[in-house]
Amino acid sequence: MNLYLNQIAAIVWKDFVTELKTRELLSAMFIFALLVILIFIFSINLSIVKASEVGPGILWVAFLFAGTIGLNRSFMLEKENGCLMGLMLVPADRTAIYFGKLISNLIFLSIMELFILPLFMIFFNIDLLSHLGPLLVVVFLGTLGFCALGTLLSSLSSNLKTREIMLPILLYPLLIPIVIGAVRMTGQILDGIELFDMMKWIGLTASFDIIYIGVSIMTIDHILEE
Amino acid sequence: MESIENAIEVRHLRKVFGTLKAVDGIDFELKQGEFLTVFGPNGAGKTTLIKILSGLTQPSSGTARVAGFDVTEGHPEMRKEIGVISHSTALYADLTSLENLMFFARMHGLEQPQEKALKVIEEVGLSPRRNDRVRTFSRGMLQRLSIARAVLHDPAILFLDEPFTGLDLHATNVLKEHLQRLHDRRRTILMTTHDISCGLEMCDKVALQVQGKFAFLENISNVDKDRFESMYFDAVRDKQFAMGIGL
Repeated sequence: MNLYLNQIAAIVWKDFVTELKTRELLSAMFIFALLVILIFIFSINLSIVKASEVGPGILWVAFLFAGTIGLNRSFMLEKENGCLMGLMLVPADRTAIYFGKLISNLIFLSIMELFILPLFMIFFNIDLLSHLGPLLVVVFLGTLGFCALGTLLSSLSSNLKTREIMLPILLYPLLIPIVIGAVRMTGQILDGIELFDMMKWIGLTASFDIIYIGVSIMTIDHILEE
Repeated sequence: MESIENAIEVRHLRKVFGTLKAVDGIDFELKQGEFLTVFGPNGAGKTTLIKILSGLTQPSSGTARVAGFDVTEGHPEMRKEIGVISHSTALYADLTSLENLMFFARMHGLEQPQEKALKVIEEVGLSPRRNDRVRTFSRGMLQRLSIARAVLHDPAILFLDEPFTGLDLHATNVLKEHLQRLHDRRRTILMTTHDISCGLEMCDKVALQVQGKFAFLENISNVDKDRFESMYFDAVRDKQFAMGIGL
């Protein structure tokens, strides 16, 4: 068990050191998410439309599209110079590789989201601070599901020539339950509804998180195999 | 590795891609400490053979046991016993050589990963470049670091796929010396190469793989090197004619 956790930690450490040196992933995701929000803010008249109604959808579109850039990059890094082959040759359970990449993706996306949330608050003139706790829970649940499925599918699509196209095509339809849950919960939080009163949505999103992680554990062995 | 009579044991091994027989009924065994060099023209199936033996690809039929483990089972314990050098370096371009080896040392569960990494970096003569990004390395340096990655966990069995490709004379000599040291330490080695002199110089057994089959397999003491060389060149020429390239 110790070795298993050390291997997961080693993958996360490796991805972090790489990102600290290149700063390619976070900057690309942040700029893309910011652009999405800016485009929407200039196309919507917030004096007519209620920000708490359109805001959650825009926020999650920004998170998901920017996150897809991150996911594409994540396994590309492993394909470069045959590094994935090197990983396949170490005495690690394939699920350790999956969880290492999942945690890296989750942390990178969360960092991007933490930078985007204050900008979203300023541009849409929404007070997020009074709902910060519940909002972070919802953002975490949505991001976890996105990363759980996205990590699995990016490992699958990394072997394809058309990987940049295939990942969103495979990912977005399967993400629909999580996206609906996350958007609805974010909207309700901005309307001042307590987390306790949206247990149905929390249950739905958390269930899909668990299902996607479970499916990944069962299939990652076959997906990583050449 | 516990004492096992045959470090590698291959029986009727086949790998088929559609209609292409990459590996076609190969049988051989290597005892612990033996060094087998496999020659063969491009496309003979040498790389596929190494991929099967290292557990990266499943065979279509037949059996292969490495360090006592069935390669089809993908046992992590088997991967502790093997080191692989392939066409790809399997090194992260934006990490330094030390960071790369520390990462792989941690993945292998080695104690004191930094010390182990520094030791093998010194062995392959890259100490002055230990803190440089791998992206800035020459082909020869990459190959030496790739060797360091493969031997970091002191594996009992080494698979080397054309390790001399792209190396200058100095790097070739460094690699040869390193392989000789490993051979002296009774590491089992299976190497594919096109370099006749290097390949024949170090091995205990020699094989010629043509169209997926071992057309020749013999102890080096029974091999007339000149005859083998001409046989190898004939095989390469025939392959080129078959492909319509000619000489």
